[in-house]
Amino acid sequence: MGKTRKIKRATLFWKISWITTGFIMLLFVISPLIALISTSFKPTEEQLVSPPTIFPVNPTLENYVSALNEPAFIRYLINSFAIAVSTTVLAIIIATFATFSFTRLKFPGNRVFLVVVVLGQVIPLSAIAVPLYQNATALGVIDFLPALVAVYLALVLPVAVWMMRSYMANIPKEIEEATLVDGCTPLNGFFRVLLPMILPGIAATASYIFFVVWQEFLFALVYTTKQENRTVSVGILDFVGQYETNWGNLMAASVLMAIPAMLTFLFIQKRLVSGLTDGAVK
Amino acid sequence: MSNFSTAFFSRFSGKRLLLRRRKPRSWRNNFRNAMLGYFLISPVVILIVALLGYPLFKTLQQSFYDVRPAVQANEFIGLRGFTELFADPLFATVLSNSLLWTVLVVFFQFLLGLAAALVLNAKFHGRWFFRILMVMPWALPGIVVALMWRLILNPDFGSLQIFTTFIGLPITDYLGQSSTALISIVFVAVWKGFAFWMLIILAALQGVPKDQIEAAEVDGAGPIRTFFNIYIPNMISVLRIGFILTAIWTFNYFELVFVMTAGGPAGASHTFPTIIYEQAFRRLDFGLASRFAFISILIMLVLSIFLIREVRRANKHG
Repeated sequence: MGKTRKIKRATLFWKISWITTGFIMLLFVISPLIALISTSFKPTEEQLVSPPTIFPVNPTLENYVSALNEPAFIRYLINSFAIAVSTTVLAIIIATFATFSFTRLKFPGNRVFLVVVVLGQVIPLSAIAVPLYQNATALGVIDFLPALVAVYLALVLPVAVWMMRSYMANIPKEIEEATLVDGCTPLNGFFRVLLPMILPGIAATASYIFFVVWQEFLFALVYTTKQENRTVSVGILDFVGQYETNWGNLMAASVLMAIPAMLTFLFIQKRLVSGLTDGAVK
Repeated sequence: MSNFSTAFFSRFSGKRLLLRRRKPRSWRNNFRNAMLGYFLISPVVILIVALLGYPLFKTLQQSFYDVRPAVQANEFIGLRGFTELFADPLFATVLSNSLLWTVLVVFFQFLLGLAAALVLNAKFHGRWFFRILMVMPWALPGIVVALMWRLILNPDFGSLQIFTTFIGLPITDYLGQSSTALISIVFVAVWKGFAFWMLIILAALQGVPKDQIEAAEVDGAGPIRTFFNIYIPNMISVLRIGFILTAIWTFNYFELVFVMTAGGPAGASHTFPTIIYEQAFRRLDFGLASRFAFISILIMLVLSIFLIREVRRANKHG
């Protein structure tokens, strides 16, 4: 009798601590998000009240309207979108073929090249920013956005290969080997059999690349000087004034910048972790 | 592999397939396959060597030079730059800040990720919604996180004061004081990044063999003992890779510190990425920036050696 009561009390204890933990985590995550979103709907007067209101008393869309009426901001969004999409498309094409070659073809130095590529991930970006800037200045490609795309390609390809490798390694080689017996070349087998099977993995990798490039900050800062070439991650700092900041506009712009990132991210979140960690294990 | 070559050959000589099948693969097919292999990886290798490898080399080289374009200095100074760097109190600050930053962020991200994963590991209504809320901070762009927290931490009208008055902390400019600036950014980085740990741990938890858990229950082990004796040993290899990856990411994280304090006040919150940016692009001292970069590359090298070792080990066992 005593024992069952003890067990009951123990399960009750775990249940209560489980609920408390969940509740605290929820508050911890949500309250800053509420500050972000609610400020973006606050009229100017209400932004500077102390202590601040948690939810806007007089919600308004004026912050979004004025952010979207800023021609420079629209320009930044377009630049970021163009850069992110072109990097993603190019990186996926390059990485898919490269990963196919790494995982399915035998050639001397296969492992060595793979290690070189994958180790590209650990190079500290800030550590190579200086020579990249010097080279870009020497070549006169500062403010030339395709140069920025080229740099981004080099930045994302290691991760892309790493992720694609984990997806491709999941597919048994025998499947393509069967097609090879039927008289296909390795590339034929790749297009007809392997490619359709790894499409979900390609979609996840593509979204991740878009997600990373959309918000990249350091190189966008270093490689662009003219306002019309800024990407949104750097350009959004325009809303931060030297002495006074219109926080409502800034938060509205932040929400607008966050939406594409959130959408791509939520689309991939389940696959992403296995992609990032399995690459190591497979 | 022999199928590969026979098939490749058979394309040109359909009927010979039967004759060739059992013979050793021909060097011509191997050669073709190898050429195809090199051809397909060449864009990746060229881009990475030209835009990551070569700059890396140039940074290492430049760290032995005095390079300041503003005064047109470009001369070899050997190790003198490094002895000066090590004597500079700024270097000690940056090094200890970077290590403290990395250790604290990774540790607390892990802790919160573990808590959230344990909550999510149970079945309950609205679990998918809870999970999506939990990954929101990770899905936000770093720059947005930095800006929103600058607002939240604003001593005049930031909403942190609602919370600090509630638990009895003073309302001050946490980002503006050298004693609290770095810790505040650590807090924000933990908030932003713990979801990665949550997802890793959640996946690992669900991979723990059910029979082991049941066996432990039958033997009368409580939740805590089950956790340490069954869950942790089963998850350890994934956790190790997670620690190394998050350490690398955190060490190199630039925009959060840059946008929240720019390394200030008075250099109190500089980490390697922000000091490199400051020296290179604000003070135009490329040599000194390269020396800071050299040290950060060394630290990354150590971490990557760990990473490679872990990957090797995981490959053997898993």
